[in-house]
Amino acid sequence: MPSASAGWKRDPAVALTVVVLWLLLALFVVYPLAALVGRVLFDHGRFTPDGIAAILADRHQLRAFGNSLLLGVGVGIGGTLTGLLFAFTAARARLNRTLLTAIDAAVLLPLVSPPFTSAIAMIFSFGPRGLITYDLLGLKGITVYGLTSTMCSEVITYFPIAYLTLRPLLAGIDSNIEGMALSLGASRWRVFRTVTLPLTIPGLANAFLLLFAASLADFATPLILAGNNFPVLPTQAFLQITGLFDLRGGAVLSFLLLVPALIVFLLQRYWVSRRFYVTITGKGAGQAPFDSLAPWVRTTLLAACALIAGIVLYFYALLLYASLVVALGANHAFTLAHYRVIFTEGLKAIRDTLIIASIAMPLGGLYGVLVGYLVTRVSFPGRQTMEITSMIDYALPGTIVGIAYLIAFNEPPIQITGTALIIIACYIFRYGPTGIRTTVALLQQIDRSLDEASRGLGAGSGTTFRRITLPLILPAFFAGLGVVFIRSMTAISATIFLVSIGCTLITVKILQDMTELALGPAAAFSVLVVAIVFAMIALIGRVLRLFRAHGAPQVASMLGG
Amino acid sequence: MANESSEPAIAVDVDGVSKRFTHRVKGEVWAARDVRFTAAPGAFVTLLGPSGCGKTTTLRMIAGFEQPDEGRILFGDDDVTQLPVNRRNIGFVFQNYALFPHLSVFENVAYGLQVRSQPTAGVAAKVGEVLALVGLAGYEQQFPAQLSGGEQQRVALARAIVIRPRVLLFDEPLSNLDAKLRVQMRGDIRELQNRLAITTIYVTHDQEEAMAVSDHIVVMNRGSVVQQGTAEDLYHRPASEFVATFVGRVNLLRGTVVASSNGIASVSALGGVFKARPGATPLAVGASTRLVVRPEAIAIERDGGLPARVTTRTFLGEKVEYGLRCANTDLQATRPSGGDDTIRVGDDVALRFADEALIALPETDR
Repeated sequence: MPSASAGWKRDPAVALTVVVLWLLLALFVVYPLAALVGRVLFDHGRFTPDGIAAILADRHQLRAFGNSLLLGVGVGIGGTLTGLLFAFTAARARLNRTLLTAIDAAVLLPLVSPPFTSAIAMIFSFGPRGLITYDLLGLKGITVYGLTSTMCSEVITYFPIAYLTLRPLLAGIDSNIEGMALSLGASRWRVFRTVTLPLTIPGLANAFLLLFAASLADFATPLILAGNNFPVLPTQAFLQITGLFDLRGGAVLSFLLLVPALIVFLLQRYWVSRRFYVTITGKGAGQAPFDSLAPWVRTTLLAACALIAGIVLYFYALLLYASLVVALGANHAFTLAHYRVIFTEGLKAIRDTLIIASIAMPLGGLYGVLVGYLVTRVSFPGRQTMEITSMIDYALPGTIVGIAYLIAFNEPPIQITGTALIIIACYIFRYGPTGIRTTVALLQQIDRSLDEASRGLGAGSGTTFRRITLPLILPAFFAGLGVVFIRSMTAISATIFLVSIGCTLITVKILQDMTELALGPAAAFSVLVVAIVFAMIALIGRVLRLFRAHGAPQVASMLGG
Repeated sequence: MANESSEPAIAVDVDGVSKRFTHRVKGEVWAARDVRFTAAPGAFVTLLGPSGCGKTTTLRMIAGFEQPDEGRILFGDDDVTQLPVNRRNIGFVFQNYALFPHLSVFENVAYGLQVRSQPTAGVAAKVGEVLALVGLAGYEQQFPAQLSGGEQQRVALARAIVIRPRVLLFDEPLSNLDAKLRVQMRGDIRELQNRLAITTIYVTHDQEEAMAVSDHIVVMNRGSVVQQGTAEDLYHRPASEFVATFVGRVNLLRGTVVASSNGIASVSALGGVFKARPGATPLAVGASTRLVVRPEAIAIERDGGLPARVTTRTFLGEKVEYGLRCANTDLQATRPSGGDDTIRVGDDVALRFADEALIALPETDR
């Protein structure tokens, strides 16, 4: 029945919030994208497709487009298979608690690191003076740059997304279904092939699309690893703008990126998501009630997982090592010099990053809870439009968002390029949506009759929100805070376009160091970011436990999505 | 509770309320249409009907969760139609209990008192008292997730009555409990209501539950009230086929009125002629009719009545149920177990209907 628990017409506070949010969305989501499209399609006020035509005629740029798609498909397949391996092992191999924790830890590391840490570790290992290629194998003249290394690095970075998508799915398959097939005489392999796998296919498709989109949007890894012979769209757009000062060309390139990104987004949202057979209840991974794996299969799976987890751990150990020696590959004497450098020359970047993250964090958390609450519990005109609009910056590749902000806020009426404000706004509207989704998910588990029960007992809508709704969605607020902070520490693709002399970021500093071959400071910065992020995760986890009301629905994962 | 009721109970008047909404497929639908009934002060009134009949919508309008499009709702002499739910002073028990999952049993029950800014000491005393009343003393610090369904139900009940509401409202409160607990809880609810003497309106689709607890039953169908009265009224004097079939089990026989005198109709059916009281509408001679025959009003004998054959026999403990075939019509009959228990499937028997129990209803298209 269409009766909302809080009507916007009767409540001026609600109406005001809705209007303010719409103004903010119009300013920071709709306007920049409109400015981007305007810059691409119009020249001095006249409509002209010249910009796009020029790109489509340029073989080099077309190759970048093709390379981006190729890389995306490769990462999609590789990452989905790796994620499936881990998810299946975690859900079916009857692991003890220690092994499960080890798997989760190996998966968590890439998720919370700056997106190019594995790329840096690749260079340390396989570069011209790499630990493995040069020191261990004695190979000379090896080039690490290109498709293969970029793809491997991105698979390591993004496979956790597939793991997080597939594990609840596998755990959610009613084990009685598999037991039934087994009791009907099917072999274990046949059960996997005819029951488990078909039930997982929508999840696999979903994971593939998510990884494809992540790879398409990834900017940092190809910038470090792709090299000159393997151009991809995001880096081309970046070079067009920072190298050639051609804002319009960069805009057109990012516009080209928009097409596959949009297709993937629509496929994922409207096609794959409707084909799930298994409803994910969010319950913990149940143990299989029977031996769904033969012993040798179990051993093989565990070994494969251990190998990949080993690579991940090796990468991070290497990063730490590189930050503590004079020059990796040349002089392995212990030194703290790199840390001295980042805390003197790099101090401004650290300070700016922390200040920006600390401002964006509460605002982004609040934004997530407010929008999430409004779109699920209050009926007002344009509700669905608001939900979709709020998701746009989250769904688009960062390069597009960054260039759109650059174009929109570079000149009057709103000239904020180069200030911290533009970066903060970008973080709020790009990463706040995680909080929206968590809030929506939580509220959907909270029956409306709770609101009604409170009002029936004599409480007004204010008291009801404060005493019933708020305590129950507090976990979403903290999770939203955490995600905004972590992404503020690690993001690069959008913000690389928005930094300036006056305001810079750690991640941008790392990239600069990499291009100047100051590998030590780059490693030290990366270690610092990982340390800060881990401290933050621990803190948020503690706060969540402290504030988690009895019986309140739990937040599935702070990093989901 | 020591002081059984501080204020005298009030009547609840539902005065011609209607509620429309727009259905995606069906277009405009009346969820409730000119619903009218009165709950006397302290009475236990049940809204009974199949799902979608408008009983819950009506209850939610009495509570104030929904606004009627037309009509008024009165608590005593107060017109509360425009009063927001949180100022109506009602106690509402939800089908899913709607316990606040993040609050303990004590905090759940205390909530309504705290909202009314009552002093802390008084709150603790009242909560303790009411928890003892519903048999949950000692459960104060438990959380809803730790309780069984029956216990949750009791907390919901305690939370609703602790604020001394003017009206108690129940929305299918027992449907999530198992059959045995349901019977026990309905007895407990009725007893509690008697003791508190708070005017109560109770929604259910279970006719047996309705008959067991109610002073007054309002039968609804398709948004409208179709008949109201005591359980006996509805069972013995149904005004329509719908009520006859919905309340209790029934045989409906096709027949024709052959004569009518002193308000008693003679109806020919199954090849015989029976005397029957007409329902709400008198019937003209020659009119088609449906004869209402309750299964227990059919006596099964060896000879001397309508010839029939036994098709099924089901032993149900305190009674035995027979399926009978008589003049190409299937009938159901019950008789207490014990006694003459020699009737078997395939036997040829003779049926006699208890005349005073028959009712002739006008034929409807239903």
